[in-house]
Amino acid sequence: MNKNANKTIIDSLGQTGRRAIFLNGEYVAHTTVFEVSWLRCLRRFLISFVLGLVALSLMTWLIVTFVSAPDIKNLPLYTFATISRILITLAISVVWGVSFGILAATNRAASLVLTPFIDLLQSIPILGYFPMVIGFLFALGPLGIELSVIVLLFTSMAWAIFFGVLGAIRGIPTNIAESARSYGLTGWRYVRHVILPAITPAVISGANLAWCDGWFFMIAAEYIQYQGDVVSPPAGGLGYLLAKTAYELKDMNVALVLLIFITFIVVYFNTLTWHKLMERASTGTFKPVFRMDLSGVGKLGVARASNWLHFGRLHWPKSFSIGAQRLHKYSRIEKVIALVLVFATVIFVLSRVYGQLPTVAMISDGFRQPPASELVNLPWLILFTMGRLSIAYGISLIVAITMGVLAAEHKRFAAIFYPLYDIGQGVPILALFPVVWLGLSGLIGNPGIALELTCIIILILDMIWYMFLNVVSAVKNIPTEINEVGQMFGFKGVKRITHLVVPSILPAIVTGSILSWGTGWNTIIFAEYLPSTESGGAVSVPGIGSLLDKAGYEFGNTVVLIFMLGIIAVIVLSMEGLIWRRLLRRFEKYHVEV
Amino acid sequence: MSVIEVENITKTFTSDKTKILVLDNVSFSVGKDELLCLVGPSGCGKSTLLRMMAGLEKSDSGRILFNGEPITKPSPKIAMVFQLFGLLPWKTAMENVEVPLEVLGVVKDKRAHVAQEYLQMVGLEGFEKTYPHDLSGGMKQRVGIARALALKPDVLLMDEPFSSLDELTAKTLRELVLNIWRNPTLPTNTFIMVSHNVEEAVFMADRVIIMSPRPGKVIGEVKVDVPRPRSKFLRDQEYFKYVDEVVSLLEKGKAITRDTSPLSLTAERVQHMKTTK
Repeated sequence: MNKNANKTIIDSLGQTGRRAIFLNGEYVAHTTVFEVSWLRCLRRFLISFVLGLVALSLMTWLIVTFVSAPDIKNLPLYTFATISRILITLAISVVWGVSFGILAATNRAASLVLTPFIDLLQSIPILGYFPMVIGFLFALGPLGIELSVIVLLFTSMAWAIFFGVLGAIRGIPTNIAESARSYGLTGWRYVRHVILPAITPAVISGANLAWCDGWFFMIAAEYIQYQGDVVSPPAGGLGYLLAKTAYELKDMNVALVLLIFITFIVVYFNTLTWHKLMERASTGTFKPVFRMDLSGVGKLGVARASNWLHFGRLHWPKSFSIGAQRLHKYSRIEKVIALVLVFATVIFVLSRVYGQLPTVAMISDGFRQPPASELVNLPWLILFTMGRLSIAYGISLIVAITMGVLAAEHKRFAAIFYPLYDIGQGVPILALFPVVWLGLSGLIGNPGIALELTCIIILILDMIWYMFLNVVSAVKNIPTEINEVGQMFGFKGVKRITHLVVPSILPAIVTGSILSWGTGWNTIIFAEYLPSTESGGAVSVPGIGSLLDKAGYEFGNTVVLIFMLGIIAVIVLSMEGLIWRRLLRRFEKYHVEV
Repeated sequence: MSVIEVENITKTFTSDKTKILVLDNVSFSVGKDELLCLVGPSGCGKSTLLRMMAGLEKSDSGRILFNGEPITKPSPKIAMVFQLFGLLPWKTAMENVEVPLEVLGVVKDKRAHVAQEYLQMVGLEGFEKTYPHDLSGGMKQRVGIARALALKPDVLLMDEPFSSLDELTAKTLRELVLNIWRNPTLPTNTFIMVSHNVEEAVFMADRVIIMSPRPGKVIGEVKVDVPRPRSKFLRDQEYFKYVDEVVSLLEKGKAITRDTSPLSLTAERVQHMKTTK
């Protein structure tokens, strides 16, 4: 055997290019490699990072110097406070999510207790139980306020990482798990050599999601109405500053400047850090990463600019889909354990709030206090809220499918929609809310109608990107064979869309819908009720969200609050059971094995 | 003397509250230096049986002895080659071979040396730093074989090792495995292979054990008494005689079970249902 015959030859393209593999002197394969040296990567990252910091400080300086508004002088401190809050919580969430995810995936008893309970927790909108957390922690003084902000951010970040890790471990192929076991990789060794590398992409994309979610909830967490007063964390924060500018000072221009400032931070560091990390982490996994590159297209200014800023490259490991993970079927024992845990939590909360174990008299008393009188209208409130959500969902569904299919099939549209996606999903929606509301209420005059419109607009902007991403990735992942079959049988235009494209993206639409509704519930709780320090009181539109907010923030009625939470949980769970799970089970069969 | 003894193995899988019998009282033994092939239609439980020998799966009743000791968990004395390779995608070819050695506590220099040696033996010199993603199917299976042999096991188990490869690659790898089996300097001389390819089994094995469709039973064995190397033997009349003998036994097994169980749920499907649930 000629020993020097085994060679890999990298062609003249250099580090990235086509590579021929020779075995025993014979050509056997051709692969495409992406090999950029670590050092070069690091250097480019550091340069972009420093440039980002310079741009950030420049913007801060410009705003502080040229924008006149109270408190704006504290912008550097507030920026620092908010970023470090999010980073600290991110670190805690990653550690928690990874360790508990591994525990739940490898230990049957832990899985029995943890998974359904956390699943139930995540089906309740975070902003719903936030008032209770505040009730507990505000007793601790300033530190308690900081803590409650971190708790809210944690609950918004941790679940995604937990379920991502769980899904990744469950997705380890049998042949790999078996070969690892047969070669003695057990216990810690199995964790180190198999589980940790297998979950890395899920952790990174989960952390990315968490980073975005952190910014999403920041404005709700830093500007809290508590028993008629607005409370902010002692170190302040960008969310507090923006909410104050919009709600109290009603200064549209300053609010807009702040919104752009926040969006810049989220989007720039998002594309810079997370996208790079995801690219790196995905090379070693079993499933192909969904990757879109804009290079080489378009003379359009926006495409060029986004290329220059490294926008327009979406990375999404297919293995990571919380949507599908959420529809995991639970056994009766698991359901019972989850219910018992929820019941225990409710009793614990009530007994802490009232200083004694809850009695029947106490609960019925809670149903007599305000705002319990509004509970009579509950069916109407549910109808209103569901109506808002459905309108927003319907519009974003249609728009997202159209945009997604166009973007996936035509480079010209991709050049517009991908950068739009990158910016659109980077804007913290709740931070956008006060700005849109300020604009609309200025235009319309009637705060009620303005709020109603704002609500729906915000919901659409919130829901659309999950759908868009899922649609694009699904269209991109239609196997070539299916497309070729379509060509063979002459499917064109509308026929191709109805016979090939739509059926193959249906499962993705279901998972996208689950995510959209999940985030929609959070947004509506925030958006139906506007806190205010003025004597006129808060502005609200009738709905479940606003009643919950009144019970939580205005009257401190824990009994009604928990009751409302229960209602929301029932709606969310029955939608999952009656609609999404059935649809997904049906569409799952459309999935083509490649 | 026999290295492996399979004694009255019975196994049922439970799926959706229905019990499915996959292995029904299976017994046979494998001698030292023997190359044994288990042949049967898909769903006869032959892969399950192999996994029990590897200590990956437990039987409901009966036992499997290795040098007189019952097998309860995976051991480095019995190594396995997988149909879908089972390579860790985040480790290079070299690291994939090294990991089991690391588990055994072999020091770093030594295991690098051993891994290098075995990769060279399977013809993968120059690919030490390549990731599985960039290797062809045949090359991945070469890594799988090197990983198994590097442990210097007494028994090598192979679960349809060539069935996910194209025929030309499979042919080359069969020769490679036979060369390794015949090499007296290597400690591994007892090979057990699962296959559903009758020609492959007759070409490679000393003895072919034929199993019936679910529930899997041993319905016969054929001793292939032909001198090696057998490359020329492929065109012989005798070769076709052995192939015909195995095929007719398989047909017989099919006829028996068709009478007893019309349900065509294969063990693979049950396994699939188990993993997707």
